Amino acid sequence: MTPKVVGIDTGGTFTDFVLLDEGGKLRVHKVLSTPDNPAKAVLAGLRHLLNGAAADIVHGSTVATNALLERKGAKAALVTTAGFEDVLEIGRQTRAAIYDLNVEKPPPLIPRERRIGVAERVGPQGEVLRELSDESIRTTVDALRALGVDSVAICLLHSYANPKHEDALLGAIESELDAFVTSSYQVLPEFREYERSSTTVVNAYVGPVMARYLSQLGDEVTSGRVRIMQSNGGIMSLEAAQRLAVQTILSGPAGGAVGGFALGQRAGFDNVITFDMGGTSTDVCLCAGELSRTSETVIGDVPIRVPVIDIHTVGAGGGSIAYRDPGGSLRVGPRSAGAAPGPICYGQGGTELTVTDANLFLGRLSPEHFLGGERQLEVKPISDAIASFAAQMNLSMTDAAEGIVRVANATMERAMRVISLERGHDPRDFTLVCFGGAGAMHAADLARNLGITRIMVPRAAGLLSALGMLLADVVRDYSRTLLVRAADLDDERLDRAFGELETRANTEYENEGIAAGQLLLERSLDVRYVGQGHELSVPMSADFETSFHDIHHRRFGYADPKRPTEVVNVRVRAVARTDQPPMPEHELQAADASAATLGECAIVFDGDERESLLIDRSKLQPGNAFSGPALVVEYSTTTVVPPDFHCRVDAGENLILERLS
Amino acid sequence: MTSAAPTWDPVTLEIFRNLFYSVAEEMGVTLCHTSFSPNIKERRDYSCALFDGSARMVAQGEHMPVHLGSMPLSVEAAIEHVQMQPGDVVAVNDPFCGGTHLPDITLVQPVYLGDQSEPVFYVANRAHHSDVGGMTPGSMPLSRSIYQEGIRIPPVKLVRGGEVVDDVMALILANVRTPTEREGDLTAQIASNRTGERRLLAMVEKYGVETVTAYMGHLQSYAERMTREAIRLIPDGTYRFEDCMDDDGQGNGPLPIVVTLVVDGDAACIDFTGTSEQVPGSINAVYAITLSAVMYCFRVIVPFPIPSNHGTIRPLQIVAPEGTLVNALPPAAVAGGNVETSQRIVDVVLGALAQAMPGKIPAASYGTMSNLTAGGTDHRTGEDFAYYETIAGGMGARPTADGLDATHCHMTNSLNTPIEALEHSYPFRVRRYAVSRGTGGAGRFRGGDGIDRDIELLCPAQITILSDRRTHGPYGLEGGEAGKPGRNLLTKPDGSERELPGKASVWVEAGTVISIRTPGGGGYGSPVESA
Repeated sequence: MTPKVVGIDTGGTFTDFVLLDEGGKLRVHKVLSTPDNPAKAVLAGLRHLLNGAAADIVHGSTVATNALLERKGAKAALVTTAGFEDVLEIGRQTRAAIYDLNVEKPPPLIPRERRIGVAERVGPQGEVLRELSDESIRTTVDALRALGVDSVAICLLHSYANPKHEDALLGAIESELDAFVTSSYQVLPEFREYERSSTTVVNAYVGPVMARYLSQLGDEVTSGRVRIMQSNGGIMSLEAAQRLAVQTILSGPAGGAVGGFALGQRAGFDNVITFDMGGTSTDVCLCAGELSRTSETVIGDVPIRVPVIDIHTVGAGGGSIAYRDPGGSLRVGPRSAGAAPGPICYGQGGTELTVTDANLFLGRLSPEHFLGGERQLEVKPISDAIASFAAQMNLSMTDAAEGIVRVANATMERAMRVISLERGHDPRDFTLVCFGGAGAMHAADLARNLGITRIMVPRAAGLLSALGMLLADVVRDYSRTLLVRAADLDDERLDRAFGELETRANTEYENEGIAAGQLLLERSLDVRYVGQGHELSVPMSADFETSFHDIHHRRFGYADPKRPTEVVNVRVRAVARTDQPPMPEHELQAADASAATLGECAIVFDGDERESLLIDRSKLQPGNAFSGPALVVEYSTTTVVPPDFHCRVDAGENLILERLS
Repeated sequence: MTSAAPTWDPVTLEIFRNLFYSVAEEMGVTLCHTSFSPNIKERRDYSCALFDGSARMVAQGEHMPVHLGSMPLSVEAAIEHVQMQPGDVVAVNDPFCGGTHLPDITLVQPVYLGDQSEPVFYVANRAHHSDVGGMTPGSMPLSRSIYQEGIRIPPVKLVRGGEVVDDVMALILANVRTPTEREGDLTAQIASNRTGERRLLAMVEKYGVETVTAYMGHLQSYAERMTREAIRLIPDGTYRFEDCMDDDGQGNGPLPIVVTLVVDGDAACIDFTGTSEQVPGSINAVYAITLSAVMYCFRVIVPFPIPSNHGTIRPLQIVAPEGTLVNALPPAAVAGGNVETSQRIVDVVLGALAQAMPGKIPAASYGTMSNLTAGGTDHRTGEDFAYYETIAGGMGARPTADGLDATHCHMTNSLNTPIEALEHSYPFRVRRYAVSRGTGGAGRFRGGDGIDRDIELLCPAQITILSDRRTHGPYGLEGGEAGKPGRNLLTKPDGSERELPGKASVWVEAGTVISIRTPGGGGYGSPVESA
């Protein structure tokens, strides 16, 4: 019998729980988050759900993320090649906003006085140009001791090509000091010193905080295995997460993307764009048969180069504030009313018009059914606010409210164009899977603008991140920079490079009780034309160069098979499949949805108020179907079905909206 | 005020602002990810933009400010000199005919609808190539005329009816040091324009050509309104400011750049009368650069993000006397005008604005891109190489904050080349890369510090440095001290060190170390008050 498994997602407001019991049944639970000590909410929820019973846990933690964003990490030091102590501070010597004279640049996570230069030097081919002496090691350890740091990052020039000096320093510091020590070769053995340093430093900065949190959790949860969600969409052991906390920086959004993609696949859709619209921002992620990943993330102005799910975020959400700029244009966001004071309709003192207010005014939110009626929405103050905004914009009230929604959509559309068209995908080939509180209100309009014809609103869309954690495999990414021309690479050399990574993978997994036979090892290469500065990921095959030309052509519109290519990195993704929970499949009932119809409501579409069906999602049966205009209400989200869309409930209780042609 | 169509609504305006901008950005992604010059792929020294049927800019990506006003002149030159047909792409780099300096090659493509005979739009992109020939590798020479600076390309068809014109391509490639790289970059530029064309045509299909065209006009008027609004807030009056270039590298200097700013209601006149005559050395700026620098200064005083387009220029009248440092005539040498003199033009215009609106404008930033070029034969591969890079400095202190250290300012925002990428691609060893502590000017708010970058050449090479602010430091404001001037040093393999002038070209032996120390920014407010 498979044990119970609980997925836990710590969010800003709520901590969500999804329990999968021995019989494959799902139970959900929500607790208010406890930001001062997130473990409190986690443990309270577990007590409620399990009542002392044993269970395995998969946890998406924001502890590392918050430590980074709020700059509350460890007191850390950086050990680097002498003469390059400022690489972390100089970065790429650019400013974040070109036309802003007041542009700021956050200080580096480790200040100058804690960046220690070591006399040593390795060259680009891994050749040692200057030996690391025992004396240098000793001086470094002494300096670290004098600084009294809790954590140490080691990043030496060209260590990806030869980690000898990093290893020596790592060993010495670990044995001499009681500190968290992390080296760039362990975290990211890839070239480009600033990005590698930055990633290593983030790990050193958030590592001790994460380790403390996880060991507390591990101590309290004794009756099952605790695993942690990573930014790459896979899960990892508690021990690994303590060492490589940098891998968890985006674990919350990753859970959502994994959940959205997995549910989409189960519903029969392999090409999916996940669309998570919350209060202040919107996350989108394109999955063309697999979760897309990237190694180019920036969190709080700090670059992080470990592979993460390629989630694109824009500052538009339900709480985004609308205003008129001096040129007369209607603008929305990125300023947000957040949870407090929130939109005007929350009645908590908010005075600035938000996207949620506009939706309510247009009838796209039902005031009686918001959060199951727990929170009454106030309509009257919105009419006044819209009236004065409309007068200011010289628009009718309806046009002003619809305008706010359309401008917010334009921002989200831009994000979707970036992840689809800009990367060589046609959005029309994709199904939009939406979740988050506001996604399903905007999905149909967005889909129409992008030529997307199908939308899926999963069951329990509000808990998708926690659910996604139950659907994730154990995944770890290994990589190393080669920088060798493809013509100079024989099979043996490539095999050796992959072999090294695979040996590491097997050893690490074995230490966690996963046998080599259970591992799926996927080999891939980062390839570019010799002389280019940007690489494309290509699955390993005997003929990987041909695949590279094809991918380059699809992405950028041309390829040049005569040009020599170069292998920048080799990568291995080690996947151990987890037992996937079965999802209920129901028999389809008749199409008639009248049993779920609560009545009628008025919604504005394109300036016209239309009588629309008001439908209670909890009463809908698989097989029920209806045409727009309609509004489907449930506890944590609302789905708008415009007149040109049809809606049905599939066997997995998902809403499937399809555009009528 | 001009307006393309009588009616617009504030919602559609915002939607098109997003659409046009995302097309320009996507063109940039294509160019950056597929190009070969370190200048383009690593340093992002490029710009992509959309233009209406009259060659007026509609949107530019968040790329290089120095290309702001100069891109439209390339499009105008292409229209004037070439009879374009569908599927054509025009290349131009002639500074005296739509270009800025020779390394910046611009590709202009007309966009046609169906079988119409006149283009409805244009797309263009400009990229800084790491070598276009001329007297020293990297094509940023200490030249005395344009003829020494590399291949000069007047507007010519590089692509005709969708096919690359082999004769033209061959002529270009025969004149540069790294032809394989050049061909790759030009191919990337062609692909970038095609991306722009494809997206614009899709937009027309969805919204109709009338609406798309109309909103191009509306967005220009919108940027104009925003700019006029910002100018209206400046008190009417006449403001004068003067600064100088150290020298021209040919023994002439200091060279004054003078501006008289007249603000009248919602319009401004920027008059450079009094500026030095054009000089024999290679720091002359053509008019396109002056236009870009002025546009930049007025763009940064608008307190809202606005599209970079033709509207910004409408309230501005620029007087740049011909034959001066800010409007050079042929056959002036202009390699450094784009990178050096452009920064000083910003310094003087902002200096005048600081008098007009005290408390709003920062002290002078480092004011020189400290251009370092190197070329020779890589002893490891036997292949010729041409390397070019700009090095940031200290930002001027702001009225309410210190200047940032080691950050590119004003007319450029190009990235550094990673040391590990550099040492892999070139016969160099970087010895030191550090913030030049203490170089920012003191003040209530401190100017940012510059950068120290020491590079050892592992094989004999020709080194050219084009830098300024080596004798006259960036000015402080309101009692703040000037930033420290930069320095250029050469250390021979035997350890002997000598100072190089701001503009220098030397052949060095293997083992030589070149050290660049960039200037700090000026301080703001009297340093005594802060004590």
